[in-house]
Amino acid sequence: MLSLSAVTDSPTKRPHRDEATNVLGVRIHDPLERSVEPSWLEQREGPGAPARFVLQQPESIVGRSIEAHFTIESSLISRRHAVFAQSGPEVTCRDLDSSNGVYLNGVKVHSALLHEGDTLQIGDVVLLFHEGR
Amino acid sequence: MALFVRFWGTRGSIPTPGFKTKRYGGNTSCVEVRTNESVFICDGGTGLRELGQDLIRRAKPPPMHLFFSHMHWDHIQGFPFFVPAYADHNVLSVYEIAPGQTRIRELLTGQMRSEYFPVSFCDLGAKIQSGYLEHQGKLIDGVKVRCISQHHPGTSYAYSFEQDGKKVVYSTDNELDLWLDPKLSLTSPESLRILPSEFVDFVRDADLLIADGQYTEEEYPTRIGWGHARTNTVVDLAVQAGVKQCAIFHHDPMQTDDDVDRKLERAEERARRHGSNLVIFGAREGMELKV
Repeated sequence: MLSLSAVTDSPTKRPHRDEATNVLGVRIHDPLERSVEPSWLEQREGPGAPARFVLQQPESIVGRSIEAHFTIESSLISRRHAVFAQSGPEVTCRDLDSSNGVYLNGVKVHSALLHEGDTLQIGDVVLLFHEGR
Repeated sequence: MALFVRFWGTRGSIPTPGFKTKRYGGNTSCVEVRTNESVFICDGGTGLRELGQDLIRRAKPPPMHLFFSHMHWDHIQGFPFFVPAYADHNVLSVYEIAPGQTRIRELLTGQMRSEYFPVSFCDLGAKIQSGYLEHQGKLIDGVKVRCISQHHPGTSYAYSFEQDGKKVVYSTDNELDLWLDPKLSLTSPESLRILPSEFVDFVRDADLLIADGQYTEEEYPTRIGWGHARTNTVVDLAVQAGVKQCAIFHHDPMQTDDDVDRKLERAEERARRHGSNLVIFGAREGMELKV
């Protein structure tokens, strides 16, 4: 069972810098304005797959607990299994002392900086990491 | 108690920033081996700068112990940018190989002469003390540290760190292939490459071996004597020594991430052909293992 509350398919947009003072609502073209698509995880295997988890929080926890940002009901997943932390454009995955560990591209890691196409295995769940743009 | 191992710089010879080296990283050699009490730093390549930034963000700077495989540029270049060395309250131990030696301290001082760098070594605020390793190894903050000499122009050293039955070996800039019969290893590339028992014993049963596997089979013949090993020879060392996990390190600056991937695929195939279930992977910046 997946908690999809944090899942969205639409990229977030920065508020227009003149929004507060543009009382007439005229659309002003800002050459610096651009869409920001956050990094996301594509669940390929495990309970609830396929699914998509968008990393919008500074820290997003994956686990069996309903308090996790991404809840996955699997006996092989710890209540708080791993955290995905964002720092600027970088996303790091860290094992939260889980029972079954976090595997990055087949290697058991304590933590790792993630890159496009990395595969993470958490219990019986397989996630593919996609970098934001 | 676990040993935590983090890669801060994995590239050989020269920094290689850029899109094509993003995954494995472009910083030169620097590996952190951490316990709950202390930080053991292997080499001071450009990765040391980022380790320094991270150390000052931690709650309380731990005792820091710095070991150099050797003093070629790509292993010392980060030292002048190691911020903890500038802070008065920090203590940094820099280890020589034998008692009475001052070579490492002199070379670190030399690269901070005013011709090369604006701050001199003697202006660093931290207490920088010289240590040395004894013949049978030395117990440092509860970790047994040993070293052994290797094949590299001017000599290099491998280090092992052991605590509570866990063992990590750091062995970079080591041309393992020079220990082999050159005719046999180049004409029968598929055969298991038998390495000297002294070195195999040094590595034996490591939970993690971090080893220079810079060259592919095709690259090596034109680089003999440059001081670096073929990835396949590292695989054979790990298999002979009963290593559990092997991180291929010191990636060639000409190799893109995709090149490193291909090198690793072949290394894994070789381990399987030897009947080994060795876990083999490419060391990459930002990766931390709990051993």
